[in-house]
Amino acid sequence: MKLRYSLCKLASLFSCVSLCVSVNAQISNRTSGAVFDEVAERVGLSFRHYNGMTGKFFLPEIMGAGAALFDYDNDGDLDVFLVQGAVLEPGSKPNGTLFPWRDAESPRGRLFRNDLEIGKDGSRKLHFVDVTEKSGIVANGYGMGVAVGDINNDGWPDLYLTNLGSNQMYLNKGDGTFVDVTKKTGTDDVRWSTSATFVDYDRDGWLDLMVLNYATFSTSSSPNCYAATSARDYCTPRVFAAPGNRLFHNKGDGTFADATISAGVEKEFGHGLGVVADDFNDDGWPDIFVANDGDPNQLWINQKNGTFKNEALLAGVAVNRDGKTEAGMGVDAGDCDGNGTEDIFVTHLMEETHILFTNLGSALFEDRTRESGLGMPGSRFTGFGTLFFDYDNDGWLDLLVVNGAVQLLPELVRKGDPNPLGQPKQLFHNTGKASFVEVSEQAAPGFKLLEVSRGAAFGDIDNDGDTDVLVTNNNGPVRLFLNQAGTRNHWLGLRLIGKNGRDMLGARVDVVINKNRVLRRRTRTDGSYLSANDPRIIVGLGNVMQVEAIRVQWPDGSSEEWKTPSVDRYLVLKQGTGNR
Amino acid sequence: MRIGLRKRLVVWGALLLVCVMQTHSVAQIKVGGNLAPPKPSLVPVHLPDLTELEGDVRSQITTQQNALAEVVRNKTATDAVVSEAYGLMGQTYHAYSLTAPARECYLNASRLTPSDFRWIYLLAKLDQQEGDVAAAIPRFQTAGSLQPKFLAVPVNLGNIYLELNRLEEAKASFVKALENQQGSAAAYYGLGQVALSQRAYAEAINYFQKALAFAPDANRIHYSLAMAYRGLGDSENARAHLAQQGSVGVRVADPLLDGLQELVQGARVHLIRGRVAFEAKRYAEAAAEFRRAVTARPDSIPAHVNLGVALTQTGDLKGALEEFEATLRMDPQNTTAHYNLGVLLARDNKHQQAIPHLQAVSTINPNDFAARLLLVQELLKLDRCAEAAEWQRKLIETATRQGNDDLLNKLRADLQRYENVRPCRPPQVTEP
Repeated sequence: MKLRYSLCKLASLFSCVSLCVSVNAQISNRTSGAVFDEVAERVGLSFRHYNGMTGKFFLPEIMGAGAALFDYDNDGDLDVFLVQGAVLEPGSKPNGTLFPWRDAESPRGRLFRNDLEIGKDGSRKLHFVDVTEKSGIVANGYGMGVAVGDINNDGWPDLYLTNLGSNQMYLNKGDGTFVDVTKKTGTDDVRWSTSATFVDYDRDGWLDLMVLNYATFSTSSSPNCYAATSARDYCTPRVFAAPGNRLFHNKGDGTFADATISAGVEKEFGHGLGVVADDFNDDGWPDIFVANDGDPNQLWINQKNGTFKNEALLAGVAVNRDGKTEAGMGVDAGDCDGNGTEDIFVTHLMEETHILFTNLGSALFEDRTRESGLGMPGSRFTGFGTLFFDYDNDGWLDLLVVNGAVQLLPELVRKGDPNPLGQPKQLFHNTGKASFVEVSEQAAPGFKLLEVSRGAAFGDIDNDGDTDVLVTNNNGPVRLFLNQAGTRNHWLGLRLIGKNGRDMLGARVDVVINKNRVLRRRTRTDGSYLSANDPRIIVGLGNVMQVEAIRVQWPDGSSEEWKTPSVDRYLVLKQGTGNR
Repeated sequence: MRIGLRKRLVVWGALLLVCVMQTHSVAQIKVGGNLAPPKPSLVPVHLPDLTELEGDVRSQITTQQNALAEVVRNKTATDAVVSEAYGLMGQTYHAYSLTAPARECYLNASRLTPSDFRWIYLLAKLDQQEGDVAAAIPRFQTAGSLQPKFLAVPVNLGNIYLELNRLEEAKASFVKALENQQGSAAAYYGLGQVALSQRAYAEAINYFQKALAFAPDANRIHYSLAMAYRGLGDSENARAHLAQQGSVGVRVADPLLDGLQELVQGARVHLIRGRVAFEAKRYAEAAAEFRRAVTARPDSIPAHVNLGVALTQTGDLKGALEEFEATLRMDPQNTTAHYNLGVLLARDNKHQQAIPHLQAVSTINPNDFAARLLLVQELLKLDRCAEAAEWQRKLIETATRQGNDDLLNKLRADLQRYENVRPCRPPQVTEP
């Protein structure tokens, strides 16, 4: 049977180049050097995070901020939104803080348009243009994170911005501009929000929204905290009350209802930092995992009636294998051991380890951090942004972790570092079935920089068939790591859209290479820390040049199949155009 | 009604941050010099920046640094004497988590007296804490050869091998620990973890149960037991153990590491001593320690709150009120101080004054059932029935979240009375 791809609007939804051009031609140009090339400044991504640091050790100073990779203008390439901080104390000025803001314009979140040019020979010219003013986005609160989802099913991705203070929902008008619909949609939360995820939890075809809140904080009541040395330092979140999270139900009429209590997610909460929605028990309904900083994690299992039940403890994901609560920061879910179930990875404080919870099926997990080789390498740094992604397209999901301490590092203090929290980034290669080896040395020179990294957004920014990484640094510059290694292997790029052109977040894909090897992936923008990722899926195929079939389970529970798709290219799979 | 003063001491541990020193601003950072070694085989000790440390701590460290410098300068001092001076300095740095200079001191001490178990062991502990297992393993092995009966050595080695997923070596280390001490809960727990890693669930249960028998307070073992039972498919036992799990882990006796705490001075040590005395109901002694903590660090909120609580127990209510009020001047949102003030004022029949404090804590923390309950009762005493009814509704919200149906029914019945009966009178509701 021939493929029946939805080619109808591809020219506009997705550039023809990304559909039709095989990037194999480029492979010969690749060198055997570093995996990534850091190019942010070179391609016009000039942005420096401002945290309003006062010297008074206010916790929010060191927690932000995130970034989004999303195609806001639907021209087929990923644009960038970068979340910005602000001053914290009322009455203070940005140019009067410890690290003064020097620009004439006050700090605010910024939108950069990707003007990617692809030559006939497959060469890429990447260039970003700051279009913040024109976009209508006025993100001048104390920014934390960003989530991306199409809330009105018009095929244009919308933005939800989390802040210390009121959040903002920006509706994409489809003409390059956004309008603030926070009030109209009823999606504000005035507390200290962090990560958020769009998920159609009741399968009604409209994206709902889960927002995490971190701590009840005010500059006027922030206590003094001290290090073991007896010197002042940042407080742990435990000295601030946890405010509780919020679930908004999309009513489909441009408004949302607060479903926090009716859905039951108000019953348990902690200091929430990381969130990911996924079908962990394989019942076709999305569940929600919340990583908490210093409190047990929650695993909200969807009860299929608009409510959730926290099953984290028995599921084995609330605490580490010793039963100890740890400081969860970033999180992601993916099938890293290739057994067809969704595993969970959570980043933590130094002297703890990051945790890999492998899914045994039916949402029962085991902490297999040690066995996977992720234990000791993870214990040296404090991790935040992270994602399962196949950087070398060998068919196994790898991991990247961006780090930065949350308490001052004595060695950096002694060396006179003005911001003594910096740590390097880490890349872990999955050598098969969740056996990881740290390969940071080969990643990129920029990985060694001691930076206070927080957010990390993942996506194919140059549309060449491998996953690039955008890293945000607290009180530092953004970094764009372009992948130089992925297209050495074969790959398959997939964009899964609904009948109205919306990216079908939560759709599950099984790429059937043969009866013994099926690669399971999903469409999502969530995961990592405070950040939003490319909704497209890149499936690494290694040396496999032919795929038997692609099976998609859509968020509404229906399934379709596409036979023998071509590889080394992007395909757009539209719901209703496959074989049922 | 039985609402007691919130005696829970402010836990210093929540405020204690690990392994850090700080600077307040860039300009104030003074990069320390170093103490040159007396021999080429030794390393210089980089002096940490002490400017932001508590006065007592800075003074302690400076005094000891000077003492070490004097010994190092003394050309007649024997290697043993110089080693001891380096080692003691290293322990002090280590106690305050100044790990880099601690390492340099231990290294020198160890090189001067290679047969001294203490320095190589503490070096290995630093390696382990910092995740440098490649260095930690041989050092622990050396330490083990110097003092084969020191139980913490094979347990630490076992734990490192576990983290590295070198299960056979881990098992051998824990078995060796059991040879040293037959009732070592830490060794049994480690063996249980090895078995759990190998998915040998029945074996893991056996080891965990032994660990629990030797350390019954270590309620975190129940979590491991639950996971092992779950692995066997026995969800009933798994749930039963999950219900018993807590935060106390298994710990191997380690007099050398524990001894470092004796070196700690300043507000922190007084807080710890005060807490120990308080828990032993030696309230006067506790108050004295907390007062020392306040003196050492006048802006320490835990010190003021804990002093207030201890003074309450000694009957010095005036002093207690002063401490809670001092706390609120520094931290107007401090719920413990608000609550305790509310309770003390209510006990003293100063209802009008108690109410704002109870309102504050009830607003800041909507889950604080006790504060809301007491607030309602205080309002009723002043016949402020409408306000009492309003807070009773909020109390019901809190109780709803706690899912206590019996209590909810009672609260709802009371609410009707507050809304309809005049004058409204205090209810007889028991704190859950």
